[in-house]
Amino acid sequence: MILIHCPYCEEDRPEVEFTYGGEAHIARPADPAALNDREWETYLYIRRNPRGPHAERWRHAHGCARFFNAVRDTVTDRFEVTYKTGEARPGDAK
Amino acid sequence: MLEIAPLAVAGIDLTLGTTPVSGTVYGHSVTLSPAAPMVRWSLRAKDAGVLSAAIGRALPDAIGTHHDGIARLGPDEWYALLPEGSTLPVVAGQPLSQVEVTARAVGLTLTGPGAAAALGRGCPLDLARLTPGRATRTVFETVEIQIWALAPETFHVEVWRSFAPWLWHALAEAIV
Repeated sequence: MILIHCPYCEEDRPEVEFTYGGEAHIARPADPAALNDREWETYLYIRRNPRGPHAERWRHAHGCARFFNAVRDTVTDRFEVTYKTGEARPGDAK
Repeated sequence: MLEIAPLAVAGIDLTLGTTPVSGTVYGHSVTLSPAAPMVRWSLRAKDAGVLSAAIGRALPDAIGTHHDGIARLGPDEWYALLPEGSTLPVVAGQPLSQVEVTARAVGLTLTGPGAAAALGRGCPLDLARLTPGRATRTVFETVEIQIWALAPETFHVEVWRSFAPWLWHALAEAIV
């Protein structure tokens, strides 16, 4: 079982306590009405889907219940780093 | 023709135990018993100081610990587990939420040298780190529970009422 470090609980917790929340750092447009259909589609549906390090949201659903961000390698499934919501993606993890 | 054996226990037969069950897990003795009736509160506040002042009690600082009957489950979430008959002052006009959830959950108690091992039959948490004073939400198989480490080899397990009969049987089966 994968252990995921929760940045709020500050300990490694079993994977089954967590749920996945999609790609991280996607900001909702400040004024959605000003967007055309293509831009709105991009915001809603278009994701990077990279092979390699991927910043994504996770929720410690059966723990502190908080969303946080993680950089996970989509090839190895290894969690490089986890950090609190609102913090910038750590530069060393790219 | 494929024959399917009937289930050993049907869902309707599952009831919460009323008398303690004793046994061993990996050779260590453990006793499972229903906990005494408690008063439960779900407490939410962004500022711990506001909540602490409102209820007139000290709150535990670290997430995943309990102190004086109150556990800190998350950055803005506390859970009070108090003896039956206790009350908490309800404060209006403050940025906090106090919800009495006494009837939502029931408590089970596991005691004995095999208590952690019994929980470990279904809980993936590293229970060796759950030293007295720790309290956290986690899962047992797929059922969400809270584990409060009250003393060495003594755990209080909080589980939502509708899951309690199943959890009781799962633990009772684990401690043959």
